[in-house]
Amino acid sequence: MLEVNALAVAYGDVQVLWDVSLRVEQGEIVTLLGANGAGKTTLLCAISRTVPVRGGTIVLSGERIDRAPSARVVELGIAHVPEGRRLWPDMSVEDNLLLGSYPRRARADVRGSLEYVFGLFPRVAERRAQIAGTLSGGEQQMVAIARGLMSKPSLLMLDEPSLGLAPIIVTELFETIRRINAAGTTVLLVEQNVLQALEIATRGYVVETGRVVSSGTRAELLASDEIKKAYLGL
Amino acid sequence: MSYGLALIYGVLKIINLANAGFLMLGAYVTWWLFTAYHVDPLLAPLVIIPVFFLIGVGLERTLVRRVLGSEPIISLLLLFGVWLVLQNLAYVIWTGDTRSIENSFIESTVKLGGLQLSIPRLYVFAMGVLSLIALQLFLTRTYLGRAIRATAQDRDAARLVGVDVDRVMGIAFGIGIALAGFGGSLLSLLFSFTPDFGRVLSLKSFCIVVLGGLDSIVGVAFGSVALAIAEAFGVRYMPASMQDLISFVVLVVVLVALPKGIVGTLRSLRRG
Repeated sequence: MLEVNALAVAYGDVQVLWDVSLRVEQGEIVTLLGANGAGKTTLLCAISRTVPVRGGTIVLSGERIDRAPSARVVELGIAHVPEGRRLWPDMSVEDNLLLGSYPRRARADVRGSLEYVFGLFPRVAERRAQIAGTLSGGEQQMVAIARGLMSKPSLLMLDEPSLGLAPIIVTELFETIRRINAAGTTVLLVEQNVLQALEIATRGYVVETGRVVSSGTRAELLASDEIKKAYLGL
Repeated sequence: MSYGLALIYGVLKIINLANAGFLMLGAYVTWWLFTAYHVDPLLAPLVIIPVFFLIGVGLERTLVRRVLGSEPIISLLLLFGVWLVLQNLAYVIWTGDTRSIENSFIESTVKLGGLQLSIPRLYVFAMGVLSLIALQLFLTRTYLGRAIRATAQDRDAARLVGVDVDRVMGIAFGIGIALAGFGGSLLSLLFSFTPDFGRVLSLKSFCIVVLGGLDSIVGVAFGSVALAIAEAFGVRYMPASMQDLISFVVLVVVLVALPKGIVGTLRSLRRG
């Protein structure tokens, strides 16, 4: 459903991504692995069109989106849950969620979407009237994912969802990602938590200094010596 | 009028120095519609609000957008320039003579429990409250309103949920200008005016907006009340001619003591 081809991205004179190609098929959980600063976040931002693309193509379900405005990308069904959650801290949880269904496509069924995300995150339902900035980190992450789901995406992109969360919450979070995927949403996941990410992923790509250096299915990546050494500390 | 200033600052992060110009223009258009076409001054906002909104959107698209990313001084100068242009335009069209609107409504009063109250003053006050409520409902209950708040709080996050941020900024600027025009139209019922109208008021609204917190509409309403009370009490202890001084003393005190404004300070306290 998503095809990135020979993508190049630069911030001014500093090139961040070189010749990055990857594909995500309907129903998969694809994970991007790699060290800090490798360009994973930039890759997601290029797909959601919040950073300019220098070269290459991005195609979503047959439509080229590498020149489209970000609003169009959301309308086509990509939701990007950014690193650091980026909620609107002075708004209520409910307003944050309602803004998630800003795209016209999602507005028709706001009630259904709310029911769905409250089912996934009962904690969010309890906190719906609270000001988002007063929630705990884990709760804010739930709201951020829920906000992404409110646009009824076919592809959900998660950037470091486990960052700064307690281990027990992280386990819960990965379980929830698996359930979101089982309900029919394709997932593209950027994670530092390599082992847990690989446990739920169908396939993965390893990004190093702006290039894709290897890729494979979960089994292949888990068996690879390089991955074991570099990311799993085995 | 202060609402418009707060809205534009909140969303675009620029201070609209041309606000006073549009306030003055709102007053003149009301007067001109009344004297030339016998349009009831109370109906003038029906024309002013949509027309000023479109002017605001156009101004944002043609001029303001170009300077949004640059240093604050650039947008300050640009909008100061717009104000000067508007002022001089008014001198050319309407000359520097003092104008005022006179009809039976302006002079009417009502007796309320022994107090003689001027009806236009009550009317202007009611309209101020009403527009606060309308604006607050718009900002909290509609998708567009929420998108405006979202853009004010975190532009990138707004982009990520599919908000067309450029469009929202144009609309916010348009609403800000429309509110300034509406404010001017209302004030023309109370005061006489020249093309310089709005200068002191504009400075006062900076004070109000700073007092209330630069991006909160409810805070702005608090700010106006607080300033009005400070001024009313101040008059008891100093000559009325020094009344305007109070605004600026308050401004300085607030900037030093509560740089986030009343609402901002409460928020940080609540968040701990």
